[in-house]
This record gives sequence, structure tokens and C-alpha cells, in this order.
Amino acid sequence: MTEDRQLVSRALRGDRKAFEMIVRKYEQPLTSYLGRMTGEREAALDFAQEVFLKAYCSLASYRPDFKFSTWLFKIASNHMIDHWRKKKLPTVSIDQPVDDDEGPLMPQVADPGPSVARKFELAEIREKIERALASIPKALRELFVLRHVNEFSYEEIADIKGLPVGTVKNRVFQAKELLRKKMEGS
Amino acid sequence: MTSCPRPEDLYLYLEGELGPYDARKLEEHVECCPACRDALAERRLLHEAFTTLPPFEVPEGFTRSVMDSLPEPEGRKAGWLTPLITAMAALAIGLFGFRVFTGQSFFDVLVAVNRFFGSVIAFVTPLAAKTLRLGSVLLKLAGDLLSLGFAGLATLSRLLGPGGVMVVIGLGALLSALAFFGARRFLRQGEQS
Repeated sequence: MTEDRQLVSRALRGDRKAFEMIVRKYEQPLTSYLGRMTGEREAALDFAQEVFLKAYCSLASYRPDFKFSTWLFKIASNHMIDHWRKKKLPTVSIDQPVDDDEGPLMPQVADPGPSVARKFELAEIREKIERALASIPKALRELFVLRHVNEFSYEEIADIKGLPVGTVKNRVFQAKELLRKKMEGS
Repeated sequence: MTSCPRPEDLYLYLEGELGPYDARKLEEHVECCPACRDALAERRLLHEAFTTLPPFEVPEGFTRSVMDSLPEPEGRKAGWLTPLITAMAALAIGLFGFRVFTGQSFFDVLVAVNRFFGSVIAFVTPLAAKTLRLGSVLLKLAGDLLSLGFAGLATLSRLLGPGGVMVVIGLGALLSALAFFGARRFLRQGEQS
């Protein structure tokens, strides 16, 4: 974290090498996040480039009290929202209950069906997760990706998205159960 | 036997996000509930898959293309160069304008400028001397006040004794800490709002 602050401070003094180090550090996590959000590798790379450009141009507004990674991902998240808004793609309100085809998700431990997890090996499950991810609502997908691909803490995700920690935990849980159900159905 | 845990608690348990008491309760329950044991085993496998999703590969040369797309930083020129160039340009334009409008030669202009600065210096010098004198008087006054304050403190400490002095210092430290943290909180609230 301190290293990031030093790099930002150097970049603000005109040291392009410092910003290049920031790009090298975050290009993969950022592309992994944007890739899962868009579902397209090329689009993810274009978006990542735009996000870095935005970050560079507004570097002076970065406040060292916050983690640089959360600041950068906040820019990325807003960038995606702007993109969807421009393309008028349907988005799910964060307050709207998320239903799947079989009705609203109800917490229920006892599952009468065969255990989906046991059907596949781990690699196969990962492939299925990637496919299922594309079909779950963006609002849930984003929080899932931030948590499990980018490994942000729930508190950091709450900071990035401006949501209460409890809501983030609940949404990540909903995403996981929805993925499980989608995989079960596949 | 305790009631079955909620599915979200199974995930939180696997992520290490459940508190130690709840985690222990869940473990005890799972030991004697086959349905929850299966549910936990299934979520454990899923959790392992969730947390090991491969990262997107970034192509060679991506960093370069990002760096090439960035605008040149504005602060790259030396900080003193721009004001100096501006001042020189302003002087040149001023001299030229003076010559055009008054018809006088550059030599006349230089004489006029010299006279102007001479009059300014003649006005400013006594003023600066007076200011310095006033500053020295104020410094002397501050010194006298400080020594008076120290004398007062010495008398007070003699009157209070060592115990009293410790109490006063403690209270002072407490008040300072309260003022500091209060101000910090107030400023943070202001920043967040």
C-alpha cells in the first residue's frame, strides 16, 4: 500500500516510470475483473486501457487515506456502469430482489437433488462457473468477481461500490447460490 | 442438536469470516447432521473452485500501449521557466507599446523605468525600516510575556507540589488528546460529506 502511495506521488511529479509500474502491477487484476464483466477479452483490454487513462488523468484527486487498489477499481466499476448506460444494457437494481427461473433464492441447506459439486472435477467446475457467470445479473457478478477473483475483502468491496458491508456479503452469497443453481441445471 | 446453519453461514465459515463462537457451533452441528455435512462438503468444493478461477492473461506489450496512450504530463517543464518567459515577453511588449504610444526612444523608456523604481525604493525603504523596528519591539514583548508565564508556572508548581503538577499535566494531556481526536473526526466527517 505504501509502495502504491510512493508510486502515485512520483507519478504526480511527472515520473512516467512510476505510473508504468502501477500499470504493470494492476493490469492483470483489472483485466480479470473487466473480462468477467464484459465476457470478452479484447473488450476487457480496451476497457483496462481506458481505466488506466482515466486514473492517470485524475491521479491528483487520489487521496492516500484510501487504498490505491480500491480507488482504481472504483474508477473501473464506474466505467463499466457508464458503458452499460450508454449501450442501454439492462442492469439490475441493487435493491431489487434477485430471482432465478425457479423463483426467489431461499436459504435452504437441505438439498434433495444430487450434489452438483460432486459431479465434476475442480477444473470442470471452474469452466462451468465461467460459463454460468455470464448468465447471472451484473450487479451480483461484479461483487462475486471483486470478492473471489480480485480477492478484495468485504469491507473493501463496500468501499468500492458504496454499499453497506452486510449488503455486499448478502449479494456475494446470492451470486454463489445462483451460480450453484445454474450449474446444477446445466 | 442446534438448528441447521444458514447457507450463507456455510460460505462465511469457509472464507474464515464467521466468528470463532459461530464457527465452533457450526462445526459441532455438522458433525452430527449428515445433510449439513453434505451441504458443507459441496460448498467447500465450490468455494475452492471460486477462489482458484484463473486470471485473464494480458498480452505482451499491453503496458507499452497503455503508456503510449497517456498524455504528456504538464509539469515536465522546469517550474521557473514558464514565469521567466512570460515576464520577458511582458517586458518586451510593454517597451514596444510604450515606444509606439509615446514616440519616445528606448533610452527614454529605460530612464523612466529607472526613475519609477528609484521612487518606489525611496518610498519602501523607510517603511521597511519601521516594520523591522516594530517587529523587534513585538519580539521583545513576546519574550517578556514568556518569561512572565514561566515564572507564574514555577510559582504554581511550588504551590501545587509534585502530585498536583502530575494531575495538571495529566489533565492537560487528556484535553489535548480529546481536542486532537475530536478535530480529526470532525475533519473526516467533513471530508466524507
